[in-house]
Amino acid sequence: MFTLIRDLSKVRKLIDLDKPTMRKSLSIRHCDAGSCNGCEHELSLLSSPCYDFQRYGLSIVASPRHADVLLVTGTVTRTMREPLLRAYSSMPEPRKVVALGDCAIDGAVLGDNDIIIGAVEEILPVDLTIRGCPPSPDQVIDGMLELLATLGPK
Amino acid sequence: MSNTKVSTYRERVEYLIGNSMRFAGLYGTGQGQSVASVFVDQSGKAMLELCEVVDAKVPSIVDIVPAAQWDEREAHDLYGIVFEGHEPLRPLVNHDSRLEKWTVATTGGDVYQVAVGPTHAGIIESGHFRFHVVGDRILHLDTRLFYKHRGLEKASETKDLTSGIEYVKRACMACSVANGLSYAHACEVILGLRPSMELRRVRTILLELERLWNHLNDLAQGCAGVGMAVGNAAFCYLVEQARQINNKVSGHRFLAGSIRVGASSISVDSQELEVLSGLLSEMRTSVESHWRELTFNSSFQDRLQGVGILNREKALKLGIVGPCARASGIIQDARNGCDWLAYDDFQPVLTREGNGDVKSRFEQRIEELWQTFDLLDGLLSRPISPANCDPTGVPAPVGVGIVEGARGQTTCVVESNGASIGRLHLRSASYANWPGVACCSVGNLLPDFPLINKSFELCYACVDR
Ligand code: SF4
Repeated sequence: MFTLIRDLSKVRKLIDLDKPTMRKSLSIRHCDAGSCNGCEHELSLLSSPCYDFQRYGLSIVASPRHADVLLVTGTVTRTMREPLLRAYSSMPEPRKVVALGDCAIDGAVLGDNDIIIGAVEEILPVDLTIRGCPPSPDQVIDGMLELLATLGPK
Repeated sequence: MSNTKVSTYRERVEYLIGNSMRFAGLYGTGQGQSVASVFVDQSGKAMLELCEVVDAKVPSIVDIVPAAQWDEREAHDLYGIVFEGHEPLRPLVNHDSRLEKWTVATTGGDVYQVAVGPTHAGIIESGHFRFHVVGDRILHLDTRLFYKHRGLEKASETKDLTSGIEYVKRACMACSVANGLSYAHACEVILGLRPSMELRRVRTILLELERLWNHLNDLAQGCAGVGMAVGNAAFCYLVEQARQINNKVSGHRFLAGSIRVGASSISVDSQELEVLSGLLSEMRTSVESHWRELTFNSSFQDRLQGVGILNREKALKLGIVGPCARASGIIQDARNGCDWLAYDDFQPVLTREGNGDVKSRFEQRIEELWQTFDLLDGLLSRPISPANCDPTGVPAPVGVGIVEGARGQTTCVVESNGASIGRLHLRSASYANWPGVACCSVGNLLPDFPLINKSFELCYACVDR
């Protein structure tokens, strides 16, 4: 069984398939820090047949421990501060943070300032912002690919 | 609006409920000096009962109206009002409390707890579920929402009535039309305005377009809930098409910003109209064929039947609304008799076997989709032009707007203070229905919970506000 894994490249020669051209991938963990749920509804179409984001090497993973990217939606509420920081600290390094949507980027546009912290960047280092209210699924993919292009070997 | 003394408050509520009035919300107002409760009669007319708070206390009505449970807990957390007789008065919005304070104590050798959230494994809003389980069976479920409480109602106070819609819009994107309309109508009552026939038609089109994408999304999620990837993909494709239609009509994929107080600026010419009608009829054909396939797919159907049953009695008691109430056999739909939208001959539909299980909740949505396609067909018979309201000449200090959104009845109360908002209260359909999710999960298998949850497909955002 293990020999098979070691000889994977030999095994694959039996199959007549081109090598994938996409050499990089990103595992994404989503965290809703206080959204209006519009950003989520657009995100949930990423895996739909029209966008199929996995063909670009992008995937949503079930745990921050498996993630390269923390994708944060919404303005950060005081109550979500702790869970958000915890998700971030559970991630292996190197890790990236993406602020998705105007709320996550600009913070409290509306709302009670006593219970809202504001933009994601107030509590976490943000590597990429994707604008929109909400950003459409293609804008999300474009943004993620932009991030991917800056990472790892060229 | 009528004022009630503390001493006669419960009697009054009992009288209203005894006279076929339905409860539609309760909130603290006047800086916590009063409690307002909303009741709706069978023709859809709303009335407000105002009860003064004495020594920060007011009698609880949860024994008469169990549906008021969350409302009283919220008013306690936000205004410090104590509801006498509501025991224990668990925190709802306030998260600064120990586990024992907000969960129901369950004891016994085999009982253990499974904690899920607030962040989740997929793309889901933030909220916490605490399952008390014996083996694989759910004994009890405590839901904890309000992680996303943004204080939108409070922040809207003192803003002028026209710009207040921005706060309502931010509450929830999935219900932006329903919430927006309930607010706009409340404001129009205050301002003494009545929507013109054209405005009624545009608004009804927008509301039905919102229902269309939401119901399609619910079906996509239902397929995901049983792990049927192909069904999910098929309906997600339709959701994308529906959002593109929304964009064509309003310039926004979620129709956000299309609802304004007193007017509408949307216009659709005859050419665009033809394209729209074509897209909608194609979509209808696709839904018909997908649904046929699902109906005859036994591995899909086997997962739905008899799961997550919310019987009629429980649904009535909890004040469940919308398709989920109708799936439990309750003939109630705020579109019926609504005279400020274009629902002239509207009759609610019920699915054949409305026994309140997951299967009937999905079937109910399909029934309603046909209705929505028919309604849109009729409403889109001629081009749409910008429209206004006509003055009625009778302004009012308080307005109540009741709208049947995709998830059910949404109620918005606006208390005015001159030309601005004194108090705004938005009670969305999701708010009414969350206790139903917890209730009907009891006795079911924990692995069936995602499916049960998706059969309600409620928002967290418009509950949390
Ligand atoms: S950016 Fe827009 S869609 Fe996204 S959470 Fe904020 S208000 Fe909602």
